[in-house]
Amino acid sequence: MTDITKPLPGQERYVAPLDETPLQTVDTVDESAPATSMWADAWRTLRKNPLFIISGILIICIVFVALFPGVFTKNDPNYCNLDNSLEPSRPGHPFGFDLQGCDVYSRVVYGTRTSLSVGILTTLIVVAVGTLIGAVAGFFGGWVDAVLSRIVDIFMAIPMLLGAIVVLQMFRTVTSIWKVVLVLALFGWVSTARIARGAVLSSKNLEFNTASTALGSTPTRNLFRHILPNSVSPIIVIATTSLGSYIVSEATLSFLGIGLPSTTVSWGGDISKAQSILRTDPMVLFYPSVALAITVLAFIMMGDAVKDALDPKSRTA
Amino acid sequence: MTEDTNIEQKLDDLQRQEGPLLEVKDLQVDFTTDDGRAVHAVRDSSFSVYPGQWVAIVGESGSGKSTSAMACLGLLPGTGKVVGGSIKLNGTEISHYTQKQFVTVRGSKMGLVPQDPMSNLNPVWRIGTQVKEALVANNMDVAHEKRSELAKALADADIEIKSEGDETFLGSKELPELIEAAEQALVKVGVTGDALEKKMAYFHSEWVPGSETRWRVADDLIKAGVKDDDAWYIAKKYVLGSTMNDRIAGLLDEAGLPDAAVRARQYPHEFSGGMRQRALIAIGLACRPELLIADEPTSALDVTVQKRILDHLQGLTDSLGTAVLFITHDLGLAAERAQHIVVMYKGQVVESGPSLEVLQHPQHPYTKRLVAAAPSLASQRIVSVEERGDDASALMEHKVNEDSLEHADVVIDVEHLTKEFKLPRRKEMFKAVDDVSFKVKRGTTLAIVGESGSGKSTVANMVLKLLKPTSGTVTYNGQDISQFKGKSLLAFRRHVQPVFQNPYGSLDPMYSIFRSIEEPLRIHGIGDKTSRAVRVRELLDMVELPESVMQRYPNELSGGQRQRIAIARAMALNPDVIVCDEAVSALDVLVQDQVLHLLNDLQTKNGLSYLFITHDLAVVRQIADDVVVMQHGRLVEHGTTDEVFLHPKQQYTKDLLDAIPGGKLELGLDL
Repeated sequence: MTDITKPLPGQERYVAPLDETPLQTVDTVDESAPATSMWADAWRTLRKNPLFIISGILIICIVFVALFPGVFTKNDPNYCNLDNSLEPSRPGHPFGFDLQGCDVYSRVVYGTRTSLSVGILTTLIVVAVGTLIGAVAGFFGGWVDAVLSRIVDIFMAIPMLLGAIVVLQMFRTVTSIWKVVLVLALFGWVSTARIARGAVLSSKNLEFNTASTALGSTPTRNLFRHILPNSVSPIIVIATTSLGSYIVSEATLSFLGIGLPSTTVSWGGDISKAQSILRTDPMVLFYPSVALAITVLAFIMMGDAVKDALDPKSRTA
Repeated sequence: MTEDTNIEQKLDDLQRQEGPLLEVKDLQVDFTTDDGRAVHAVRDSSFSVYPGQWVAIVGESGSGKSTSAMACLGLLPGTGKVVGGSIKLNGTEISHYTQKQFVTVRGSKMGLVPQDPMSNLNPVWRIGTQVKEALVANNMDVAHEKRSELAKALADADIEIKSEGDETFLGSKELPELIEAAEQALVKVGVTGDALEKKMAYFHSEWVPGSETRWRVADDLIKAGVKDDDAWYIAKKYVLGSTMNDRIAGLLDEAGLPDAAVRARQYPHEFSGGMRQRALIAIGLACRPELLIADEPTSALDVTVQKRILDHLQGLTDSLGTAVLFITHDLGLAAERAQHIVVMYKGQVVESGPSLEVLQHPQHPYTKRLVAAAPSLASQRIVSVEERGDDASALMEHKVNEDSLEHADVVIDVEHLTKEFKLPRRKEMFKAVDDVSFKVKRGTTLAIVGESGSGKSTVANMVLKLLKPTSGTVTYNGQDISQFKGKSLLAFRRHVQPVFQNPYGSLDPMYSIFRSIEEPLRIHGIGDKTSRAVRVRELLDMVELPESVMQRYPNELSGGQRQRIAIARAMALNPDVIVCDEAVSALDVLVQDQVLHLLNDLQTKNGLSYLFITHDLAVVRQIADDVVVMQHGRLVEHGTTDEVFLHPKQQYTKDLLDAIPGGKLELGLDL
């Protein structure tokens, strides 16, 4: 028989010595840590990501080439002399000459500008239109959403390249690069719209919107001040990743001969012209193709890095 | 010696003889951060659990209480690792076990009831399948003689336990024959009439296929008067073991799910939170573990549901002889249910011992602080800083306030408020709020109490004019708020401000704290840049946060700090009324206490009126002057706080008060 009022062995009353367990004030703010916003956090993640560093350096170089092609070559890409046709490389002309006798190096350098402007302009338009339509659909819901979503579905059903070919056939005479930009945007905005709609729908139901309404904020103010800023990250992610694909699409269209006019220097056009002499002189095709591949890769890598930083949940660690 | 102490004596003897079931000594758990630093989540913690005992670990979030328990199960999340100390289960060291070795003890030796019933059941599998998974994974290892012995000690059963067939369960096929045989046996020994009917009704309710074992059937029969030999003959003849489905239904029935056989075929989404928690308890106990680890098992549930589930769990573990290690932040719950309590703070055990003794006479400053902050029914209304000034006059002053309650003018007047919602795929409307009327008097606090689904938040949203009532009116200072539009609405918004439940959701993560607090000033176009900055500083000072938080973002602050920011934002426009919708529910006890004091101080200083929505009656006791109790959208009881707490008129209010864990226990006697 034991005394049951006595605690079991190992369960006696224990009080930790106070000097080993110092008491802190309730719920103090940790003032030592630096203040961070979502963007600062994202930047910190990005900075450490090798993918971001490599693609960032590449993109800076590409943009620099596009802005100042004159720094890299003194040759006029449109100066073609048939005497030089398929001449191999020589000082001042490192990549040699194509069938028409144009300097391949300078054409690759000047082609950067075309590809990049098509990519960037298309992305800007797509983001503007897609976000607007997606946000309106997500925010207002009801029949507005129903109508807009069906329109998005219809555009989704049209393959971008096929649609672009059909539309561009009708405007063969227009020579501006805007032709390609607008056509790509016409078939490209839908995916952004879908993502924007989803992002707006999810951030619309977050409690801080109710909180601001109760503070006296109007629905439109909520949309612009709270909902949209909270929806930007997926939009930024899709914008960066699709930028590369627009560049590819432009090259494809130019390759097919219905994109940019042959007078505009573009990688797609050059690849197209070079394919007929692929057997005799493959290097003419090689240089613009590599330039295209590196550019697209850089943007897609950048998109991946941004996605990791802005949406840690999707990280493929 | 009475029967009760007899059982306790037996149990105590057994426990001393057996030694601790789980013994944790100097446990150290580290987590590794992204940049390779080690964070000591648990340091030098020791505690033990004896067979058949309930042990509680209490502490605030981040104190290492869940981490300690998960270390015992080998279920540390992420980079967590046991780096020191020992964990002994039945004398065997398990802290160095590999995951493969842990599999052999998890489920069969140690069961887990996880915290969140909503996310811990797989939505694509039937409940029964998930119970079956637990049984199959452990090869239905259900023979535990030692445990049955304990069960016997607890049940004070004096019969010899026949070890053979001890865990042979009753099958549903044999049940009708068994019942018939039992009736005949009873008739044979001369039980007739009412007594027979009563006995048979008892058998019907007790003999659940898949849960009732052979020896218990025999025991029941013997107790009913059947001769030993006959009883065992019947038990052996008809209790032949159950099918898997019977066993699943039996387990769910044990956990307190009615219609278990039907329920087992349903999916988690068809279950309420309480029912899911019962299913999880059934899974945790499926393999008859010797130790059940329950991580905040009922924190997500309403108090009345919590009480029912814990009562049931306690009965069940007592009859099975299972020890329970449960983690909770609720001191009342620990005091009421556990024999032994372990208080953790910042990864260390600061105090442990017999639960009542520790909580009534806390010695470590942290325990003292915790006990002082814990709201209970015994606590009084918080008195503000000014009133606290000198004791005697403070009490007087508050009395005066209470007297003047009758005469105070009405700020918010709610009359016959009704809100109906359309349910998807149903014709009839759902009445979320049904004819509710009350008045909030200026400078006082009215609390609306109710369980989830009682319509209390819907009322709050209608008072805030965020939802349009189906019928009825809300008037603010005598004006019908449904008439407010444009400018007058903006003015109304300025005077009636909300503080919401979820401190993680109500602040825009993209806004710095400065911008968040400044937002109402901007919306209402008050002041210029510099004067707004001055005001934000004032407000931060008011909620006792340093100025440096202005540049920070919500994700850097704790829940309590965010809630204080939300209060600062609500105070920015000098409102008359603040509607607090479960404003302190998500917070730790200490932080909750801090926020409640802050709210109270602001009330005295600025003459605020609060409409305080909560499910926690103990909090109501601390902050409210008047109480409205709601159930299923209806107003059940309405009165002053003292009236409702001391003399509840309605059964529902009484049930609610009874369900508060440790409600009748007085803690911190010598504080």
